[in-house]
Amino acid sequence: MNAIEITDLCKQFTGKKRVRIDALKNINLQVETGEIFGFLGPNGAGKSTTIKIIMGLLRPSSGTARILGVHSGLAASRLRVGFLPENPAFFDYLSAEEYVGFVGSQFKMDDGLLKRRSEDVLKRLDLWDARRRPIRSYSKGMVQRVGLAQALVHDPDIYILDEPMSGLDPIGRALVKDIILELKNQGKCVFFSTHITDDVEKVCDRVGVIVRGALVALDRVENILKSGVEGYLVHLRLSEDVPAVFGGFEAVRRSGAISEFYVPCPAFNSFMGTVNTSGTEVVLVETRRRNLEDFFLSLVSVGRESG
Amino acid sequence: MMTMIGITLKGIFRDRVFQGIMVTACAFLLIPVIASLSMRQVTELSVTLSLSLISFILLLLSVFLGGTSLWKDIDRRYTFSVLGLPLSRQSYLLGRFCGTALFVMLSAAVLGAAAFAVVCYSSAIYPADRPIIWSTMALCILFDALKYILLIAVAFLLSTVSTSFFLPVFGTIAMFFAGGVAQQVHEYILSPASESISPVVRQIANGLYYLLPNFEAFDLKVNAIYGLPLPTGGLLLTLGYFFVYVTFLLSVSTAIFSRRELR
Ligand SMILES: Nc1ncnc2c1ncn2[C@@H]1O[C@H](COP(=O)(O)OP(=O)(O)OP(=O)(O)O)[C@@H](O)[C@H]1O
Ligand SMILES: [Mg+2]
Repeated sequence: MNAIEITDLCKQFTGKKRVRIDALKNINLQVETGEIFGFLGPNGAGKSTTIKIIMGLLRPSSGTARILGVHSGLAASRLRVGFLPENPAFFDYLSAEEYVGFVGSQFKMDDGLLKRRSEDVLKRLDLWDARRRPIRSYSKGMVQRVGLAQALVHDPDIYILDEPMSGLDPIGRALVKDIILELKNQGKCVFFSTHITDDVEKVCDRVGVIVRGALVALDRVENILKSGVEGYLVHLRLSEDVPAVFGGFEAVRRSGAISEFYVPCPAFNSFMGTVNTSGTEVVLVETRRRNLEDFFLSLVSVGRESG
Repeated sequence: MMTMIGITLKGIFRDRVFQGIMVTACAFLLIPVIASLSMRQVTELSVTLSLSLISFILLLLSVFLGGTSLWKDIDRRYTFSVLGLPLSRQSYLLGRFCGTALFVMLSAAVLGAAAFAVVCYSSAIYPADRPIIWSTMALCILFDALKYILLIAVAFLLSTVSTSFFLPVFGTIAMFFAGGVAQQVHEYILSPASESISPVVRQIANGLYYLLPNFEAFDLKVNAIYGLPLPTGGLLLTLGYFFVYVTFLLSVSTAIFSRRELR
């Protein structure tokens, strides 16, 4: 069974003066159990809207969202879900410890287990010293940490996180990455939205890119990176007296006896043929690929032009 | 839902507004003692003042707690985090309501105890002409509390359709006054003195009478002050009316709130 299943999802908002905004246009998406899924998109693309519909906070205009096969309008769909809203806010008269306890009791955890888990997550997220203070007195990053703590405490199978790294310092970001990788090893499913491609590249199995409410790409991260190979940087040992041109290519860098040539994919075979026949020594071949960021930017700009 | 009730109570106890209201309450309860300066019917006067004071404090509590509790949760975006838990909208709303209602009951009990002490004190110094019937006074406070719980249900209903606190707070106050005079207006309409009013207006007034909550039925102040006997049948009827009306209001509220989008 799929952890998350979104079918033909559309969402329109009617704003002021009856202007209709198409926030989501026919989104189809399945996320398997045990998968780390990155939901990537520029500001206003519809990431949070999708997540709110999955969590039953908004109703879709058409189409459905299911969690583990249960319709997302039902409270039962959230029984095995840890959810972190975007820019979260929690009852600010409670302390972090009380709030995490409240969440645990909503998931019917027994007291002993809750106490242990609560201590674990609060320590992990560096909230232990502040745990008795009301959330009202927390900084933005601390509130975000409370959000992560309350999503983790009941050890759910599915994590739905809206921009989990937002508002965190570099140490916090690294921590979140570690936590997500840990969850992956435990076979949990994590669905998170972000605009930072680097995060996706490091932790995700699969990525979906949403631009202006439409899902424009959906693929495994490794496929995107593989398909992104554009050329090779070939390091050759050449005598310093000969001109730095080889097989029709000019060296992009020369240091001592080593010259570097950038060879685009289509020319690579013939270039290596020349290298072989001339008996030149190959020191190193590096692949030059577009990273996810370039891929993302190209998708977003295509979306812009066509829109 | 039980934890939701607990959280609601905790929130109220830690709320500044509540603390302020309670402090003024303590100070006000000294007034009946000061009333003894009037020298005549001191006990009756203390009973009247205590009961009115309790009523007034409960009104403040129910308008502000009832009218702002949902609005605050939505406005401060607590709803996203809370309703992302496996908690149905219905349990959330009922938890919030029961917590607030329970709190009003508790306040009524505490204030009632204070009023008893005050009346005891003044009747010991200036013995009353008529004996005070304590059970009537207790019932009077109980029915007052029920009235305000009904008002909280009205406030919750208004909160579910509104996106600001304006409608819930001022709407509740308006409903309170309208519900307070509904009985009188109804009786006036039925009396011969109202012949001159057009039938349409009379029909509307009649319709409103059945739609608006009738708060006057809950008022037992006169019985408590003068120690008059209580109409048992009437009280049971009021009690039934309370349960039916509150159930109705909460059903409509949950139906609306379950369909509401949280943006
Ligand atoms: N309550 C609302 N009323 C009207 N329009 C809305 C509402 N919420 C979102 N939108 C619109 O829906 C679109 C998608 O918004 P959404 O919040 O899902 O974006 P996002 O991808 O989460 O962006 P960000 O990266 O900035 O968080 C935007 O164009 C936004 O203007
Ligand atoms: Mg967003």
